[in-house]
Amino acid sequence: MIEVDGLTVRFGGVTSLDGMSVTFESGTCGLIGPNGAGKTTFFNVLSGFVRPAAGSVRAFGEDLLSMVHFRRARWGVRRTFQTEQAIEQLSVFDNVAMIHEHARLRGAGRRREVLDAIGFVGLDADPWASVATLAAGQRRLVEVARAVVGRPRLVLLDEPAAGLPDAETRHLSEVIRRIPEQAGALTILVDHDMSLVSACCQTTAVLDFGKLIAAGPTAEVLRDERVVSAYLGTAEVV
Amino acid sequence: MPSWQDFQPFIVTGLALGGVYALSGVGMVVLYRATGVVYLAFGAVGAMGALIAWSLINAGSPGWVGWLVCVLFGGAVTLGYGVVFGPALAKRTPLTKAVATLGLLLVLFGVMDLLWTTSGGESRSITLPTDGSGFTIGQVQINWTQVIALGAGIVIALATGLFLRYTKLGTAMRAMANDREITATLGVPVRRVEAAAWLGCGLLAGIAGVLLADLVALDATTLTFLVISSLAAALIGRLRSITFTFLAAIVVGLVQNVVTPISSISNYSDLTPFLLAAVALLAFSRGSVLSRSREEA
Amino acid sequence: MADTAVRAAGPRQRPPLPRPGTGTLVRTGVAAALLLFVLFALPQLMSLYYVDTMIQVAVYSMVALGLGVLVGRVGLVSLGQVAVLAVGAWIAARILFATTQPFPLVLLEAGVITMVIGTMLGLPALRLRGLYLALITLMLAGAIAIILATTNFPNGGHGFLGYNGSLVHIPPIRRPSIAAGDPAYFRYSVVVAALMFVLVLVHIRTRPGRAWAAIRQSEPAALAAGINTTFYKLWAFALASFITGVAGGVYAGAVHYLYSLDFPAQDSIILFAVVLMGGAYSLWGAIVAGLLLEFLPALLQNWGVSADWLTILFGIGVLLTLTTAPAGMADQVPKDLARLGRLLRGLARRGAARRGGPAGVARGDG
Repeated sequence: MIEVDGLTVRFGGVTSLDGMSVTFESGTCGLIGPNGAGKTTFFNVLSGFVRPAAGSVRAFGEDLLSMVHFRRARWGVRRTFQTEQAIEQLSVFDNVAMIHEHARLRGAGRRREVLDAIGFVGLDADPWASVATLAAGQRRLVEVARAVVGRPRLVLLDEPAAGLPDAETRHLSEVIRRIPEQAGALTILVDHDMSLVSACCQTTAVLDFGKLIAAGPTAEVLRDERVVSAYLGTAEVV
Repeated sequence: MPSWQDFQPFIVTGLALGGVYALSGVGMVVLYRATGVVYLAFGAVGAMGALIAWSLINAGSPGWVGWLVCVLFGGAVTLGYGVVFGPALAKRTPLTKAVATLGLLLVLFGVMDLLWTTSGGESRSITLPTDGSGFTIGQVQINWTQVIALGAGIVIALATGLFLRYTKLGTAMRAMANDREITATLGVPVRRVEAAAWLGCGLLAGIAGVLLADLVALDATTLTFLVISSLAAALIGRLRSITFTFLAAIVVGLVQNVVTPISSISNYSDLTPFLLAAVALLAFSRGSVLSRSREEA
Repeated sequence: MADTAVRAAGPRQRPPLPRPGTGTLVRTGVAAALLLFVLFALPQLMSLYYVDTMIQVAVYSMVALGLGVLVGRVGLVSLGQVAVLAVGAWIAARILFATTQPFPLVLLEAGVITMVIGTMLGLPALRLRGLYLALITLMLAGAIAIILATTNFPNGGHGFLGYNGSLVHIPPIRRPSIAAGDPAYFRYSVVVAALMFVLVLVHIRTRPGRAWAAIRQSEPAALAAGINTTFYKLWAFALASFITGVAGGVYAGAVHYLYSLDFPAQDSIILFAVVLMGGAYSLWGAIVAGLLLEFLPALLQNWGVSADWLTILFGIGVLLTLTTAPAGMADQVPKDLARLGRLLRGLARRGAARRGGPAGVARGDG
């Protein structure tokens, strides 16, 4: 369970997050909102790249914000990025194993855990192949594998399906749905693809201009007229 | 410890140099705000202009022709560089853009050493007509060149500040500092605004070249690397504030020169711009992992 | 909250551990052959003038190697490596004059002390990013140059600075007893350089190398993977400083007399330009950089052409490199070597087939 309380982030004159208070209970949770709503900023707070002006985040009972950013991976925060790609010069195995290397997880089962993660995401490629030889969809899977290897506690997926064709998005959707039960991690999914969010997420929170405007079961939230008007900019409910 | 009187002439030279650093620093800041380029070749351009002026004057041209050519040379080369390489590198990081100007620096440096070699042991100098006349305040002699240098710094800093705030072109430059693409969609002729910034900066480089060649030395290496002092001022102004750049430039010039009569550290006076810039850089860096993508360097 | 690791969805298969590919073996073979050639054949083929030059090539290849680690592997731009070289040379000269320690030990000490200095200066500097980091290295280099111009280099005098301005007969900096003459010292410097290359190679293939690749790709992503980016960046600084310090020691022994004129400010910029052009990422690029920095000017000087043309060329090179191929020219070299390797393999296979050997079908290759 992730409890966010009064989270406020300011950049220069812009308030990216404005008193965000929400609780992510378990399973896969969606986080949606128009562009610039603050979703990536929220992830950046969780990753430790941005210090909030106010507010707190308690993750499974612990104060997340007091942890140094690079130690959060060891604690169990995993993340994919919108634009950052898997490291081309390294092999698939090395990419996924990176967490292990630096988070000092038990080395004994490391190889097996890395290979399991690669199998879990259904990546059908030679683990020793250089990532540079993989297609975009496969690279995404490498990133997801990185996010689920070992014992993650919190998996943050930032638009993992962006730019992917339908077939691969569907495959990704199945993988994401299985993360909580297989890895035992709470997953927060940010994406603009509503069908992906509906398929994977039991609950969803909605941000608009840094403020939380709705949270609850996904189907209800997606029908909420405040959410619709935030996206469309009109008061009319279609 | 030297007396107040011993310091006085160095305060004057410090202020004069500070004035030139100020106009140079302001030029670099304006260019950075408009294009994202830290113009490291600023000093080299001025140096070569000054050498061209020297050659012309040596060949018999009247002084003012030489200075004019120097200023125009600065403007032409800088504008040329900006027009050719600016768009090609527009989308790259500020680091890449700055390193590219090092390429220009090397080309100019090589040309200068080729055409105006100093291996023969000859030294050149430029004198401005205002060197000879001046006035005295108390015990200190001040010549008009020094007055012009400080005056130019003040005038250009003021004018640039007003320009950026109150003119259409200036406002456009400030907008582009934030986001080139968005500014373009607002209908601002981005290429033209950039060209204006390059030209303005280049002309200032030429002016600085003449003044520094007179006040310091007409030597390619010295003049090229004097850009460090102007850069220090610009960095203390966080590559943003005209006012702080101006003030920092005066401080850099003063400290560097006022230290001269203190024999124990005078050898290290040239460290001033380096140390001040390093301190400024470190003090102003907030260690945030993510920064605004366009403005951060 | 289940405390289980992710289980694979399908049947588990254990793929074999990676083996060094044939390409790597060929590359290593070529490198070894080249090294042997340089060590034994080259000094015989060249006049003393060029042997001297090649010693400088070895020195600057090491400096370029260090800079290549910073720029090519981690993505940190340093515009002051020649100042670091000067510091290394200073330290080596001071120790060589003050003690009778064996030369290799002095090299090691020069490397270590330079490394300590580099790391101490790097620590505050690393809070900066990209452009600001590059600028602060430029500032630090300028500061070091000014300090050295005043303190001068050790010349056998006493005191901490070891400089005696009124010495009439300045003793030369000594060389190792086994490598007093120039050809022997050339071999010595090549061996030292080779060791530095091996050191870097070891780094690249293990954990720091992978961490650097992650940092170069994206620092936020590296942090999110648990990499302590500050630590690994410092490590890169330390490694580059160590190698450059050792290079400084070799340089001191090479020239016998050190002057601050040896390390002008523009050399750091030219060094960076050349590393950029030679390919900061590949190790071969460092050798190309060394050749461009020292061999080419010596060649031109021999032909009566001014080295200024090279400065101009390097300036143009920087501009072209940045506007076109960011990785630099020497990325081509490894690709050509790989092709050469495949060609040789193909020839070997065909030769074996003709002799009726066990090699099967001779496949065409390209």
